[in-house]
Amino acid sequence: MTFSHLNRRVHLYLGLALLPWFFMYAISSIPFAHTPFVEARDVAKKLPMWTLRMDRTIDVNVPAPDARATELRAFGAAILNAAGIHGTSFGVYRQSESQINVYAYSFWKSTQVKYFIPERRFTVEDRRFRWDQFLTGMHARGGFEDERILTRSWSVVVDLVCLSIVVWIGSGVYMWWGLPGHRRWGMAAIVAGAASFLIFTLAL
Amino acid sequence: MLSRLVRRTHMYLALFLFPWMLMYALSTAVMNHRAYFVERYGSGPIPFEAERTITYDGVFAENAELRTISQQILASLDLDGAHNVSRRKDGAIVINRNDLTTPRRLTYSPADRTVVIERMAHRSSAFLERFHRRRGYATGYRLDTLWAVSVDLVLVAMVFWVASGLWMWWEMKVTRRLGLSAFVLGAATFGFYLMTL
Repeated sequence: MTFSHLNRRVHLYLGLALLPWFFMYAISSIPFAHTPFVEARDVAKKLPMWTLRMDRTIDVNVPAPDARATELRAFGAAILNAAGIHGTSFGVYRQSESQINVYAYSFWKSTQVKYFIPERRFTVEDRRFRWDQFLTGMHARGGFEDERILTRSWSVVVDLVCLSIVVWIGSGVYMWWGLPGHRRWGMAAIVAGAASFLIFTLAL
Repeated sequence: MLSRLVRRTHMYLALFLFPWMLMYALSTAVMNHRAYFVERYGSGPIPFEAERTITYDGVFAENAELRTISQQILASLDLDGAHNVSRRKDGAIVINRNDLTTPRRLTYSPADRTVVIERMAHRSSAFLERFHRRRGYATGYRLDTLWAVSVDLVLVAMVFWVASGLWMWWEMKVTRRLGLSAFVLGAATFGFYLMTL
């Protein structure tokens, strides 16, 4: 097998294996790029975004305002446990001095738990399913903050997709260079693209 | 003929759009490893550094809207472009100029007619993230609209690369079996994540 052959096969098989991710990133970019349009359509439906499921008090130790991220995360896990929410990814944010929010989410379902510090009370609300949020949630999924192996493995695939894009660029350029009849127009396309991108970079 | 057209479009689109794809790949990797950068730089917003302070001699129409004021100030300083503007409780007008390479904050104090110009400290990771998140048609600036069009073109191109890639693969009989294995493996893994994450 020659290098050229190997290069073609890597370009192809990597593309086929990661096709669902590549397609997902393309489709899910649409609601990001056209947020006002998507939001306006949803607002027209006049449906509430959140539905209250639980409202109760709980006595827990609240982390100090300057607490480390790990402490805040442990607090979030305890609150989720009290709310009966298990085994999902979550994020914890200090909304204000008197409120901490915990967001539990999967690709299909999102729940927010608001803890009101002075009242030692929390509410649990479920978010209405929306296709655009399903897609943007998948698009934005990543990072290694979550300890669970499954979640981390998704982030490893995200890294693999990033690396693959670089490989597709490199292998694609190599294949193009192997077509002498297309070098001139190909070079024109590269220069035009790079110049346009540079103008955007400097002028935006 | 169609096959030839599909192959050429696949290639030329990729050659033209490779800077966008490279930027999206690098910026995604940066965001995927955000914890590393938080550890390196600390959490919280990126600090601004003082650049210069000037006295602004321009006059504004009575009851001029914030947007009009911000555009006038930015234009007079050769900094016009996509920005947000707000008025603080003390009456100062704060303009956040969303410059891609060097975001700036301009604070105009009507009382003493000064404009304090600050620039955001440079971080490559933040620069890439700004690039990744830049989109939309709402800024009212032509260049931003053109950028939004280019982002839409990238989206269309990505869908086309998927479809044309499948087409080209199916045309090569010798790769069908192994290609199908790669496709099924990828689809099954993706489906598994879809059901479990």
